[in-house]
Amino acid sequence: MIRWSWLSRRRRDRELDEELQAHLAMAKLDRIERGEEPQAAELAARREFGNRTLIQEITREMWGWNSLERLWQDVRYALRGMRRSPGFTAVAVLSLALGIGANNAIFSLVNTVMLRMLPVQHPEQLVEILQKYPDQARMNGWWSWQSYEHFRDHNHVFSALTGMSRDNVLNVRTAGSESEIVIGEYVPGNYFPVLGLKPAIGRLIGPQDAPTSVAVLSWSYWKTRFHLDPAILGQRIVVQGKPVTIVGVTPREFFGVLVGTRTDVWLPRSAEMGLQLFGRLRPGVTLQQVRAEMSVLYRFTMEEQARTWNNPLAWQSQVEVEPAGAGLARMRDHYAKPLIVLMAVVGLLLLIACINMASMLLARAAGRQREMAVRVGLGASRFRLVQQLLTESLLLSIAGAILGVLLAHIGIGALVRIIASGREHERFDLQVQPDLHVLVFTAGVALLTGLLFGLAPAWYAFRSAPAFALRQTGTAGETRLRRLFGRGLVTAQVALSVLLLSAAGLFVGYLSHLKNLDLGFQRDHVLLVTLDPARGGYKRAQLARPYQELLARLESIPGVRSATISAATPIQGLGAGSLVTAEGHQERPEDRRRVGLNWVAPKYFATLGTPLLAGRDFQFEDQGRPRVAIVNRAMARYYFGSANPIGKHIALDGDTKPYEIVGVVGDAKYLEIREAPGRTMYFNMFQEGRLRSQFALRTSVEPSSVTAEVRRTVRDLLKTVPVARVITLADQVDASIVPERLIAMLSSLFGALGALLAAIGLYGLLAYTVARRINEIGIRMALGATPGDVSRMVLGDALGTVGAGLVIGVPIALWGKRLATRVLEDLPVDSAVPIAFGAVGMVVVALLAAYVPARRAACVDPMKALRHE
Amino acid sequence: MGRQERYKNRIELLQGTLDMLILQTLRRAPQHGYGIGQAIRAGSGDVLQIETGSLYPALHRLERHGWIKSEWRTSEHNQRARYYRLTAAGKKQLGSECNHWNQISAAIAALMKPAESEGQA
Repeated sequence: MIRWSWLSRRRRDRELDEELQAHLAMAKLDRIERGEEPQAAELAARREFGNRTLIQEITREMWGWNSLERLWQDVRYALRGMRRSPGFTAVAVLSLALGIGANNAIFSLVNTVMLRMLPVQHPEQLVEILQKYPDQARMNGWWSWQSYEHFRDHNHVFSALTGMSRDNVLNVRTAGSESEIVIGEYVPGNYFPVLGLKPAIGRLIGPQDAPTSVAVLSWSYWKTRFHLDPAILGQRIVVQGKPVTIVGVTPREFFGVLVGTRTDVWLPRSAEMGLQLFGRLRPGVTLQQVRAEMSVLYRFTMEEQARTWNNPLAWQSQVEVEPAGAGLARMRDHYAKPLIVLMAVVGLLLLIACINMASMLLARAAGRQREMAVRVGLGASRFRLVQQLLTESLLLSIAGAILGVLLAHIGIGALVRIIASGREHERFDLQVQPDLHVLVFTAGVALLTGLLFGLAPAWYAFRSAPAFALRQTGTAGETRLRRLFGRGLVTAQVALSVLLLSAAGLFVGYLSHLKNLDLGFQRDHVLLVTLDPARGGYKRAQLARPYQELLARLESIPGVRSATISAATPIQGLGAGSLVTAEGHQERPEDRRRVGLNWVAPKYFATLGTPLLAGRDFQFEDQGRPRVAIVNRAMARYYFGSANPIGKHIALDGDTKPYEIVGVVGDAKYLEIREAPGRTMYFNMFQEGRLRSQFALRTSVEPSSVTAEVRRTVRDLLKTVPVARVITLADQVDASIVPERLIAMLSSLFGALGALLAAIGLYGLLAYTVARRINEIGIRMALGATPGDVSRMVLGDALGTVGAGLVIGVPIALWGKRLATRVLEDLPVDSAVPIAFGAVGMVVVALLAAYVPARRAACVDPMKALRHE
Repeated sequence: MGRQERYKNRIELLQGTLDMLILQTLRRAPQHGYGIGQAIRAGSGDVLQIETGSLYPALHRLERHGWIKSEWRTSEHNQRARYYRLTAAGKKQLGSECNHWNQISAAIAALMKPAESEGQA
């Protein structure tokens, strides 16, 4: 466009030239026709014509400038200005890039997790059906096949109802290669038709496909494993030991219906598998109607669950229907709230960057007043000036946005990796791709930012009287209003930074609170080592002797204090639960609750650091003796009150032989670090013959330092058994609080950035003030003020601004904290530490920012200063 | 600057009137710049001689206002020239300028009459 207008101007110049040439030629011809000599005619015509260059020039002025040409002029002018002050430009673009980049990164995640619709037909019609138990924080989406059939056949609200069940450890072997673990979905025949997906190649699974007959691959799996080879259609792969035929590949952009995961293989579901349900609404049906209908149909499930699981809570459970156009909700549950908090944090950061820019540009505008006056004097209208200044600020914000998007690209990669570091059942593999949402958002943010920080200097340019400005010498004529406004901007920056720093303090404090929670075990100095005896060719029944031997050898490794084995480790989730009957305890059927079960080896409690409160630990000698169990304190209290539980008996439902309680241990948390520990019952895995392969070692040294020795010991004794996984208990606990760690990390990063920007703003203000008051400082010093007095004056100035910022910022921070506790329920509310941290942090930052201007003021030479100007 | 001033002053002598004269000239048929100048000169009995430095800026200004349009054609002398023609907006503008001119000239004529009669007395 710009090039076009430039070309058109060249063309018009040429045409004007030709037009005037033609005029001359015709004038000459006329004269010759009237009988003049050609040479004389030419001369006369020229004389009559006048100064051709001048005429051309005046005529050209008549063309005016169209808006595009004017924009191009402005842009060129702005670019020249940016080149002329590279330091200012660098700081401006960088601070905007940080602000816009942070917003782009977080919004990309928000978009992926919450906004982006599934790439299927009419995603807005999809809803998922969930179940809410009163004792569970999160909704559960797992339904029996019977419930599915009942809903499918009796509802009037869905045009179709389908579902899927995931298998995260699907074993797949292809011809001529090792087997590998992939993520699979088992789907009913109507899954793909309901989604309305078209295959990339081949066909998708349909109602005619029998279980374990065919498989459909995802595009990404097809690419990484088969290099997009179309010849895979009709090939056989072995899934979970059974051969199936590949019939097709899903579209490239489809990763499954569960947000934050990536499915590799789809298989027709076998009968009697549970599944997650989602359906497509009939046109015109509202969510309310679906909820009403589902709560009627849900009685079927309640009866079923009360009957088959013997679960008394089934009667208090509820059915929930949620929109699922952006995918099924699992990841949203975990990350929606943290992402909203982070969005607010980066929004604040951008606002600070904006204000920073505004005050920097305002200071610059004061310096450019003469330039503006000259331009007005040369005929530019005030609107032209405003247009020019807005072009400059928009150019800065666009440059900031471009750099910001690059930064965000790196940042998103890091965020996705952090999010992927969660526990296995919460490990999210985000497919963050820029789309229209992100593009519009970023462009909008850049535009809004440019306008926002460009308005102050533009308004200032509009208001200032140019004629007056020309006369002034550059230091004297500053208006009181402008000074107040500049100071107000820095004050606002300080206030917002206090808010950000308090938020950072709040979330970091929250994280350390989580890290110091009493979990019922000592998380440090424990190494978890999982073996895979099945791949080593061992049967479970053969493991008792070698494992007992292995435990002894592991304990002899220097630095290892004790070793044990367990079925489940803390914060990993207890896989098993049961209703129990305790000797001498009566309870109503509806009060019965399942207790968690764990099978452990001797020394489990000593290794994990869970205190043994009464009785004894398990022993290898328990093998072949009457069944024994250890209960946690919560369980002992519930069933036996203050009575001594040692020697009492407890039986699992559906199990005839009761266990004798031989010990009581402290409560330990198995699922979430924030939960109240539930009733837990431990069994001796050697006595029960239920050997598991999760070893735990308590070390006196850094746990990961013994890893090599542990691997060697395992290899020496069980030559064929591979080590499947090694992790420290501390890392396993950390993996359960990824969202909290993410918030703490990012809010401190952004808090620090906000404080840095505020420091730049304050530094700019003070440096400018000192430069402006250099005369006054000189006079003061000539009249006997010491350098210390002058420094104190500047520092006092800084502290005054910060103080004003604190007065505004602290109440907002208090309010913000209350807002944050509404989003993240278990934030510690009563502590004033985070806000104090924010306030003190800001004062320190202010003093640092004031140091250089204060020194400069102190070094003023009175003689020079007075001669200045 | 000085020379430019000179041209500008001459334009001012005919301010507004030159525009009207050009539009009026183009009322009958499209014409190029030289032709317009000649037509005004001939039509005024050589009284009004339009400076080139006034004519072309005026033409380009009128074109920018949308009152005339230009196109390249070959002249009677087989010379490629830029011809201007009156647009509908130009016709309207000419009408209103004519009215305005008539009012002013009538007003000036009315004011000048006493001077004439005084002179006679």
